Amino acid sequence: MLLELNNVSKNFGGVAALTGITFGVEQGEIFGVIGPNGAGKTTLFNLITGVFPVSEGEIVFDGMSVVDIKPHRTVEMGISRTFQNIRLFGNMTALETVLTGMHCRTGSGFWSSFVRTKRQRIEEERCRGIAYEFLKLVDLADDAEEVATSLPYGKQRRLEIARALATHPQLILLDEPAAGMNDSETESLRKLIGRIRDLGITVVVIEHDMALMMNICDRMVVFNFGKKIAKGTPQEIQQNPAVIEAYLGKEDA
Amino acid sequence: MDLLNPYYLQIVMFFIINAIMGISIYFTLTTGQLSLGAAGFMSVGAYVAALITLKADLPIAVGILVGGFVAALVAFIIGFPTVRLRGLYLAIATLGFGEVVRVIFLNMEVTNGALGLSGIPAIAQEMTNYFYELDLDDVMGLDAMTWGNLVTIFILLAILALILAFCIRINNSRVGRAFTAIKADDHAAELMGINVVYYKMAAFVIGAFIAGIGGGLYAHITNFINPTDFSYHKVVQILLFPVFGGTNVVWGSVLGSFILTLLPEVLRFLADYRDIIYGALLVILMAVRPDGILTESMMDTINRKLGFKKSPYIPETQVLTERFEAYKRKMAAQAEEKE
Amino acid sequence: MFLQQLVNGLTLGSLYAVLAIGLTLVFGVLNIINMAHGGIFMIGAFVGLFMVTVLDVNIFVAILGAMIVGAILGYLLEFVALRPLRRQKVSHLAPLISTIGVSIFFESVALLVWGPQTRSFPPDFIGGLIDFGTFKISMVQIIGLGVSVGLMLILNVLIKKTKIGKAIRAVSLNTETAALLGINPTLVISVTVMLASALGAAAGVLVGLSFDAVEPLMGVIIGFKGLAVLILGGLGNITGAMVGGLILGIAEVFSVAYGASSYRDAVAFGLIILLLFWRPQGLFGSKDKGGRP
Repeated sequence: MLLELNNVSKNFGGVAALTGITFGVEQGEIFGVIGPNGAGKTTLFNLITGVFPVSEGEIVFDGMSVVDIKPHRTVEMGISRTFQNIRLFGNMTALETVLTGMHCRTGSGFWSSFVRTKRQRIEEERCRGIAYEFLKLVDLADDAEEVATSLPYGKQRRLEIARALATHPQLILLDEPAAGMNDSETESLRKLIGRIRDLGITVVVIEHDMALMMNICDRMVVFNFGKKIAKGTPQEIQQNPAVIEAYLGKEDA
Repeated sequence: MDLLNPYYLQIVMFFIINAIMGISIYFTLTTGQLSLGAAGFMSVGAYVAALITLKADLPIAVGILVGGFVAALVAFIIGFPTVRLRGLYLAIATLGFGEVVRVIFLNMEVTNGALGLSGIPAIAQEMTNYFYELDLDDVMGLDAMTWGNLVTIFILLAILALILAFCIRINNSRVGRAFTAIKADDHAAELMGINVVYYKMAAFVIGAFIAGIGGGLYAHITNFINPTDFSYHKVVQILLFPVFGGTNVVWGSVLGSFILTLLPEVLRFLADYRDIIYGALLVILMAVRPDGILTESMMDTINRKLGFKKSPYIPETQVLTERFEAYKRKMAAQAEEKE
Repeated sequence: MFLQQLVNGLTLGSLYAVLAIGLTLVFGVLNIINMAHGGIFMIGAFVGLFMVTVLDVNIFVAILGAMIVGAILGYLLEFVALRPLRRQKVSHLAPLISTIGVSIFFESVALLVWGPQTRSFPPDFIGGLIDFGTFKISMVQIIGLGVSVGLMLILNVLIKKTKIGKAIRAVSLNTETAALLGINPTLVISVTVMLASALGAAAGVLVGLSFDAVEPLMGVIIGFKGLAVLILGGLGNITGAMVGGLILGIAEVFSVAYGASSYRDAVAFGLIILLLFWRPQGLFGSKDKGGRP
């Protein structure tokens, strides 16, 4: 197991956002998290990346606990993510945005940046090369020098993925990557997620687009009101009565 | 040579020191932290430097450097609570820090209280003395004092150039990108693996160091300092340089201090109304150009026109291709194992 | 001795509270720190002094007059320095600097008109000391305490019970939602800044009276203390401003009484720096306020 959650709960001032969540994500799989709005999916991501401390339970990544670890350290450990509402850094070009993602895998500090040591120059150049590769991967090579926030919406979403990939993660968490995309954009996203897996990166994805999720996910969990109500392959999920109830409401009502 | 009279030369010196002070605010601001402690750190630098040269009789350069380091140390200590603060809390807390420092200097014996320190050795005077010692009075029609002042300006310019180079190089580096990311969205920056607290603290401490150096230089240009020199009005005055010239680019502080140091001299006949004009100018400026005169896109255009900025060189690398290959091999190996 | 200092501290603290409430009201609605508040405070003091000395009215009329002038200045401040900034997306820095500009403007105009010297109220203008045995209280203190407590009570009713008060609270919580509910944010903002400035002007008269000193620089010195109280109590929190004001008043009086008189002006910020170690959002503040630069 690459990521394991054991009985994880989170309360916000007495309100339970997540209760007793237990599941594991295998190395190399594409894992889906679905559920109605407010089911606690994004909270789950925030717990895994250390934004909030868990109220109870344990999260283990690659054999190490990520409970009480600061967000930037979880990135160093190999967890990366994108955001539900795009959060690019204003005024940066697309290339610089991806370079920023490589921050925790590089080492030039104040002094070497000031005097431009040979090592720093080599590092910078190599980083630019790699960043450009990531831009090519998400099909943004032609926009390398465009200001990130001035790109169209679909491109901004893909740029966020490139930035997250640039941290060289073992696990990437995608928070509603297809939100606001049209069919052809969703299709290229589907291919992109497959390519990410081909890099050896494990993917956990939150998404409301069921067609996409059923298509790409190896396994998934379903949340409702902060609880896990189902787990399994897409086929199993589709037939699970609890899931159908959560999405369509009780039949006899 | 009317232009080289000591009065004008001193204005040029003040312009350079003001630019340094403006940059100290700008630098901290590149991480999105508005620190109003510049006058406080400046006073720490000024007093420490002055005491070292006055009481310990050490060279001016030593005094100024030590002043800068002490200011940075103080920033490091008060940085622990303050870098966790966001936005306006930080602004007010650092403003408060400046006040506390001022009151402390006002009450200490070694700083001579409200009377301040006088007779601080002046850089220009030292330089003039060198010229006399070397018997270089009346070189190229200029007397030793003018030469002393000119050399002082040259030294100040060199320091300013060094600081500018530091800012520009940091800006175009891994550290600078971290700064920009933190300024744009510190939460997202943290989640992209940037140690936000570290960089905020670093920017705060380096800003204080620059302010401390500025203070030390100030003390050794005016040869007289007292706590009133570093009051709230000084804070506002320093803040104006980047705000006026442009808060997002380092050259903004230079332009801002250039204009705002010269303007009062040009508007001398309006002396009584000077502060009224200042105040009104600020209000109008914020309504018309809230980011100051120079903006990032403007600097970009200028740099491109002058040929300073080119498209970045992007080498060919094969990192991802290799990773794809490695994954394929791994999968193939696993498949074979199963068979 | 202790009781006497406590009375003095409470009186001073209530003045700080009135001053800080003005700052906190504006912060609540606009999410900005109004650096011009000290300037309006100072002009309020001069207006009060003018009315007492030249127009020869009693102190309550003078306070009312100062409050009216304060409200007018508040309207102008909002119209000239704040409203233009709301039309565009600007950083938090812009309104801060814009109001600093207004404060410089006020201060330099006051210097030009009234000169730098300190003025005082007519001797024996409000004389008298009431001796309670263990402590004494002067008429000036009674007026200061009475008026500030009165103003705070009125404000409380205004905010909690009236329509405009409810609108102010709605806008502080969320400007967009309030606008959708049919509240005119521009009007509410104008009224809030006017209300806050009227309170600031009243505080100016009361502080001028208490220290028997009115001068153009008083806005900066006392305005700083208002800022300290604002942080102490938590940005945008009215109860916080009241409690913070009292704490600062008492702390200052005691630091003067028990030795450290020359450090008096540093007490305010010493307090907040200590507090911020322990509770960065202030005593009553919530974590999410404070804004981005």
